[in-house]
Amino acid sequence: MNRWLLDHSQAIKDAWKRTADRLTQFMVLVCLLGILLAIPGWLAQIWLSMSSLVPEEAVQSEAIVFLNKELDVEARIELERVLAEMEEIEQVIFVPKTIALRELSAQDGLGPITELQANNPLPDALRLKFSIRALKVIEDNILTTLLADKRVLSLRYYPSTRVRYASLVEKLGLLGIGLSGLAVLGVLMAVFLVAAADVVDDQRRIELYTLLGASKRFIRRPYLYRAIWLGILSGFIACLVITSLNELFSNLLNSNLKALDPSLEYLPVDDRTLIGVAIVALLASWIGAERAVSQRLKALD
Amino acid sequence: MIEFEGVAKMYEGHREALSDVNFRLAPGEMAFLTGQSGAGKSTLLRLILGLEKSSSGIVRVAGSDLSTLSGEKLARYRRRVGVVFQDPNLEYDLSVYDNIALPLRISGFSESEIPKRVKAALSRVDLSDQANASPRFLSGGQQQRVGIARAIVHRPALLVADEPTGNLDPELSARVMRMFTQFQQLGVTILVATHERAVVDSLPFRRLVIEKGRLVSDGMGPR
Repeated sequence: MNRWLLDHSQAIKDAWKRTADRLTQFMVLVCLLGILLAIPGWLAQIWLSMSSLVPEEAVQSEAIVFLNKELDVEARIELERVLAEMEEIEQVIFVPKTIALRELSAQDGLGPITELQANNPLPDALRLKFSIRALKVIEDNILTTLLADKRVLSLRYYPSTRVRYASLVEKLGLLGIGLSGLAVLGVLMAVFLVAAADVVDDQRRIELYTLLGASKRFIRRPYLYRAIWLGILSGFIACLVITSLNELFSNLLNSNLKALDPSLEYLPVDDRTLIGVAIVALLASWIGAERAVSQRLKALD
Repeated sequence: MIEFEGVAKMYEGHREALSDVNFRLAPGEMAFLTGQSGAGKSTLLRLILGLEKSSSGIVRVAGSDLSTLSGEKLARYRRRVGVVFQDPNLEYDLSVYDNIALPLRISGFSESEIPKRVKAALSRVDLSDQANASPRFLSGGQQQRVGIARAIVHRPALLVADEPTGNLDPELSARVMRMFTQFQQLGVTILVATHERAVVDSLPFRRLVIEKGRLVSDGMGPR
């Protein structure tokens, strides 16, 4: 334990000394990595804040399924059960024709049509609310199946904005994921190259340490401590950039936010984004440095 | 302490650096390894330090076959050996004190033990007043003495020196050799590789003469 503490305190001192010797390079790298990491973080932030701000009908499609007039209760319940068990359907609401007539009457501003109550021309209906994750192709399949079903008279489909622009959303999503992947890869590569260059710079020192009996772990430790600091600081910078961008956009969108919800002052910052960015920064820095140092030390052998 | 049994070392391109080398160095013994540049002295020292592996034969130090050591075991073995180079190989961004303390820190000595050992090593090489100086402001002879202090600070059982007087004038060379003699009297096994005839002839120690990778002479006194 004592040896472990001694080795690690020695590694921290070494890492600090090396960092202080190349402070400008270190700080430039911290800022660069912070900005790079802010890209996936900001995209994730947009995604998460949008999903909490966007109205339900924009992401959830709906359908009204009109049932055949002759349909008995049992057949209707069976259809309701089958639909409710589908993963892609979040909710099935039975709308009896009496309620439909009342609502239609209220919506059209015709007032109570009491004389029609006795001879209601409307069919019973099922209101389907699709799941937020249902794909367009699945929603289409369900509708086709329902149209072919003898129990169904007709249906009305109200696709969500997400489904209507499915291909565009998909492309934007892929672009976001690709961009995020590239940014994280960029961080990994930057840390890898800097750590590898540091090892090459320190070659003479490493050879001396090896001759004096330093193990590979002992030699590697200061580089890994530097990578941990790099990860922590660049993660912090990335979080700072994300919250600053959030503030900026909140000010720009202030009036729109108020329209959505009068109590909304800012776009909500999701803690998951900040925690995720910090973890990715730390992991990417550590993995990049570990790989670079291990490879270079092996090459020096 | 050191045993070479039929040791050969081939490099890529089938260049033979050492061929059928056999000798033994007893604990506490001091010997010179002499020969022209390129004769194989440095290769032999690299084999003793575990920096290279022999192509055939056995290199044994303090009972351990070095070809079987690797990783942490090899590092632990090197912590028991002191090394002095022609170029003292000091860290210029560390003070003299920190340079000498390096092997102790690598070996995991406690912070309370390090000052005592460094002080003792500095006094052995007459540099007690230079502890806080930067090596870059020391003369060549002083730098070499810092290198020697670093090699003996952890009290190694074996001291290996590669052309330790190569950059020094005759007076300083004699001083360095006197230090080695003192260490040998303390029981340290010492192997000094040098091509300087004057240095070798001035001291009554065993000499191993190597030519074109072969040990051609092993005995006392002038060749």
